[in-house]
Amino acid sequence: MIVSKAFWKIVLKNIGSIISPTIVLLMFGTISATSTSSTMTYEARKPAIVIFNHDEEVGMTKSFISYIDKNAEIKTDYKDDDRLKDALFYENVAAVVEIPENFHQDIALGHKPEVKLRSSAGYVAEVAKVMIRRYLTVAEGYAATNLSEQALVERVDKAIVDDVETEMQAPVDTSKFAKASRYYSFANYTILSCFITIICLIMSAFNRTELRKRNLVGAIDIKKMNLILLKNCCLYALAAWAFYVTVSVFVLGTDVMFTTQGLLYAANSFVFAVMATTVAYLISLFGLTAGAVNGVQNVLALSSSFLCGAFVPIEYMPESVVLFAHALPSYYYIDANDKIMNLSDYSFENLLPILLEMAVVAGFTILFVIVANIISKKRRKIA
Amino acid sequence: MFWHSYKYALKTLLKNRMLVFWTLVFPFLLAMMFHLAFSRLHDYDVFEPFNVAVVKDEAYENEKVFSEAFKSLSEGDNKLFNIEYTDKDDAEKKLEDGEIEGYVYVVDGKKKVKIKENGTNQTVLTMTTEQISQSAKMIDDIAMREVAKNAGREVDVAAIYRNAVKTVTEAEPNIKDESHVMNIVSVEFYTLIAMACMQGAMLSCEMMNRCMPNITNRGKRVAIAPTRKGVIVASNLLAGYTLLFAAVMALIFFTRFVLGVEYGDNIPFICLLAAVGGLTATMMGMFLSVILKTRESAKNIIIVIVTMVGSLFAGMFGVTKMFFDELAPGVNKVSPVGLITDGLYSLYYYDDMTRFYINVISLVIISLLFFIFSIRSLRRQRYDSI
Repeated sequence: MIVSKAFWKIVLKNIGSIISPTIVLLMFGTISATSTSSTMTYEARKPAIVIFNHDEEVGMTKSFISYIDKNAEIKTDYKDDDRLKDALFYENVAAVVEIPENFHQDIALGHKPEVKLRSSAGYVAEVAKVMIRRYLTVAEGYAATNLSEQALVERVDKAIVDDVETEMQAPVDTSKFAKASRYYSFANYTILSCFITIICLIMSAFNRTELRKRNLVGAIDIKKMNLILLKNCCLYALAAWAFYVTVSVFVLGTDVMFTTQGLLYAANSFVFAVMATTVAYLISLFGLTAGAVNGVQNVLALSSSFLCGAFVPIEYMPESVVLFAHALPSYYYIDANDKIMNLSDYSFENLLPILLEMAVVAGFTILFVIVANIISKKRRKIA
Repeated sequence: MFWHSYKYALKTLLKNRMLVFWTLVFPFLLAMMFHLAFSRLHDYDVFEPFNVAVVKDEAYENEKVFSEAFKSLSEGDNKLFNIEYTDKDDAEKKLEDGEIEGYVYVVDGKKKVKIKENGTNQTVLTMTTEQISQSAKMIDDIAMREVAKNAGREVDVAAIYRNAVKTVTEAEPNIKDESHVMNIVSVEFYTLIAMACMQGAMLSCEMMNRCMPNITNRGKRVAIAPTRKGVIVASNLLAGYTLLFAAVMALIFFTRFVLGVEYGDNIPFICLLAAVGGLTATMMGMFLSVILKTRESAKNIIIVIVTMVGSLFAGMFGVTKMFFDELAPGVNKVSPVGLITDGLYSLYYYDDMTRFYINVISLVIISLLFFIFSIRSLRRQRYDSI
């Protein structure tokens, strides 16, 4: 009882260390929850385009603007040039199109009026450019055949209509679980931070040389005390994990979490939480000071989160980093989350890769327990 | 006396392993992680040819213009696709296995695209197929019109088609591309520099705590020492500032020359911003140390919270600064992290220096306010007994 009391006293004393990563997780979860709609049918990515029209909105100019309107999202709220520049930089706007004076007449006469274009970086901007180039190519192609403006508008409008049919193969609606996947992948950072900090601080306090020596000659058997500490560590881990799962139910909604996939996310995070407990226990054996625990926790939690794709999707990372990430349990935990998101049915064949990733994380747990036992035995001999 | 005190303050700071870790080591570790995590983020946005399949059957072979155009898109240095010609079953299997982004096939003259999921590659494939289909349609339309114009006369249909193809393929729109494309990932590093700057407030906070009789024993000794308190406070703050400025400059040079982060060419202005940012952090640390009558660790937690919330609003955690600028317009105008980030961004992206100067002046004003409030509070502190 005395040992348990001391354990929870230290937990309460360091509650600040638990609260800060939890708040970050909550904020991240809430921001992630404001996410996209369903993706069951083909939808072209509509780039955001700003138009500066110096011409009258008639004839070919009108046709050009209505074509952009149909295929893109026209933004009208960027009047300030600095804001527009920022929007281009941050890719909030894919392109800015400047239609010159007399555009409608000049294009009909085959004069090839100069259209100014500013685009942001990236794919969506390329889509916007292709779209604009496509219209102007069609318009200038027809203009070369000596048509009146009216006839040109008719021909271009007819030609520019898409007649290619796009189908989707066995569509899987991943948008619903994408939020859950992001939340649980980000929890990699939260779980590691909270578990390492608290368990290391507690175990370090009990492992301090003077205290250890006192405890060795104390009334409570050292093995019994270790067992009590281990039980309390597990209890803390279980409580923290249950809290994060409960929070996920509120943040992501019951329609996501009360499903088989929701259950799989919870199970996967449980296996990871057990692994994090053993990592924390292993680190605690080195008898670090409170300051050093803070540093180690930040380095371990942040590096594994960055390198294994908790913050930035793994497909954006260089191959060498991905290869290195395979040596870390976080990689398998986050990869399993992505696989859960893409589950189309719950056949054993589809579940097997997820279960295998969980098994790898469990394997890491066993490995850390073995290493911890070896170190613990050596330290006992030294003491 | 000033330099004597300064020297020992600097030595004390360098011996504090935790402070050295958080101000000198941690930002470098974070910079390396950013570099590893974001190194392909910008490249990822650059277009790369992707795998598609084409169902090569009689219907496809009949569409001469369409098939030729598609073939041309898989050749040369600027190719769009890596095309594999196959049958429909194989294309379906490859799509299911994720080996291709989509496949194209023709049924009764109608072009069809099949994809697995929505995405940019899928949009490019669909748009390109539409464009090719349109060009084919245009060629037919122009040729047919020409044939209709010459109705009743003997015409060379092949020549008309050749002309139509020439008209369509030679149509080159007059687009002036004035794009000024910059690396968006750089902003992540700017927020890191700003965060490192503001985390340096811990240094001045620690040094001020050492001069505060109500917080540390050393402060009590300082209070009764014959040396002027102003000299000790100033030398301690300068020591903290020196270490912080050196750390931030080292971080900037490390990210610029080792990690290759783009800052633009205005190195003197970058140094000026680092100096002013460091000054703001030093003044903030002094202010918090003087104003808050609490434990040292609680003051450090407040510094971390101010810095991390500022970093969040400046765009460090994936959500862009512009998003927060629109959500809460004033925050980044008063947050030192936001101002430093914006200063570095404006140096990199803008040709005009106005925005940079506004950021620097704002930081100077914030520093002055911290300084004035701290001095007013310090001057009032008198102890009859402690």
